[in-house]
Amino acid sequence: MNAYQAEAVILRTWPVQEADQIVSLFTRPHGRIRGVAKAAAKSRRRFGGALEPMTWVSASYVEKPKQDLVRLDSCEVLSSPLSDPVDYLRAAALAFYAEVLEEALPDHDPNEPAFRLLLAVLHHSRTSHIWMPVSYFALWITRLLGWMPSVTDCAVCGEAFGREPAWFHAEEDGLVCGRHKRPGSRMLSAESLLLARRIFQSPIAALTEESWPAHRSADLRRFAVQALERHLERRLRSAAALAKLGG
Amino acid sequence: MARLIEELRKLPGVGAKSAQRLAFHILRSPEEDAGALADAIRDVRQRLRLCSICNNITDFDPCAYCSSPTRNQRLVCVVEEPTSIASVEKTRSWNGVFHVLHGTLSPLHGIGPEHLRTGGLVARAQRGELDEVILATSPTVEGEATANWLADLLRPSGVRLSRIATGVPAGSDIEYADEVTMARALEGRRQM
Ligand SMILES: [Zn+2]
Ligand SMILES: [Zn+2]
Repeated sequence: MNAYQAEAVILRTWPVQEADQIVSLFTRPHGRIRGVAKAAAKSRRRFGGALEPMTWVSASYVEKPKQDLVRLDSCEVLSSPLSDPVDYLRAAALAFYAEVLEEALPDHDPNEPAFRLLLAVLHHSRTSHIWMPVSYFALWITRLLGWMPSVTDCAVCGEAFGREPAWFHAEEDGLVCGRHKRPGSRMLSAESLLLARRIFQSPIAALTEESWPAHRSADLRRFAVQALERHLERRLRSAAALAKLGG
Repeated sequence: MARLIEELRKLPGVGAKSAQRLAFHILRSPEEDAGALADAIRDVRQRLRLCSICNNITDFDPCAYCSSPTRNQRLVCVVEEPTSIASVEKTRSWNGVFHVLHGTLSPLHGIGPEHLRTGGLVARAQRGELDEVILATSPTVEGEATANWLADLLRPSGVRLSRIATGVPAGSDIEYADEVTMARALEGRRQM
């Protein structure tokens, strides 16, 4: 038996038995793991509101030999999404981070860059200021998972996009130039391509001062979500909710 | 037998194994018991419906709360599920009526504003039939999002809106309250 105390972000919970919960957490040292929180529904003393998805916690857990599920003993809140007002748009953004990580992170595989990305976007996901962190997360997590194609040059001919838009297709991975686009392709504007390059070169804090309405970088988010969904081989429900709210 | 197992598996929280266990239990139980179970299922579908005013589950319409002459019909407590009504009722201090949403906004489960049952409530508020609406959804991300969204929807009618207080549970030690709960408790303090 190995006992740990580690930083983690709660991804999802499922009720089991009478009052137990299965908890999926993204831990800093061990990546995504699953644990059982005994009597979590009743024992507010040990867990309180700490099992709410997207809560950053200090978790105590015990790994048992030959068992998939760790035993989650307690969680202390480091930062809760409930400390700030929650509207539907912010709830959809939080659900998006949780769903992507729950589906995409392999078991027991530490991912420090993704953990830091998550903490950063959570910190910046404030009501009425959602589209920047959502766009930042969508692009970066796709890159960190290794699924982001080049945003600078055509996947077919290798020519730089320069000031021209790029194109992507639902059944293909890369971005292509105007000469190599297939019928039914969607456009990524030259402005959005530029923005993507800036996102990949800047810490999130550098983008906070900019005005970021829903339509800004909507095509980038669509492109990133398509890449995620293609690799996960499933639709992301929270992405559909976000798309309905404006992109 | 396979048909019964298949049907039982459709119930929430019932996996293949439990469905099998339940099916064998039904098979071994006396015929009257199995018959009573079947009748109860048939009855519930035939007799129970949603109240046309508040969406509560009821066997007559409008439900007991909405047709009660002693309750304040201008005071509405909005809850997520019909089962939440019992939690409010057991306080024995609520004399208003209810409105059941049948869920919360849930981006993860594909439940958007169009899926919640709010039309009747908003219409009553707009017609000036309500004095106060209390939003009693859970203090979770989805519950908060739902309360805020509903408040936005009701605000133009001018009805008084309030959110249930959250804070340190009665009978507990504040030493164990997490920071969010404690912050809420301070924010929601009352004068003495
Ligand atoms: Zn090309
Ligand atoms: Zn009713």
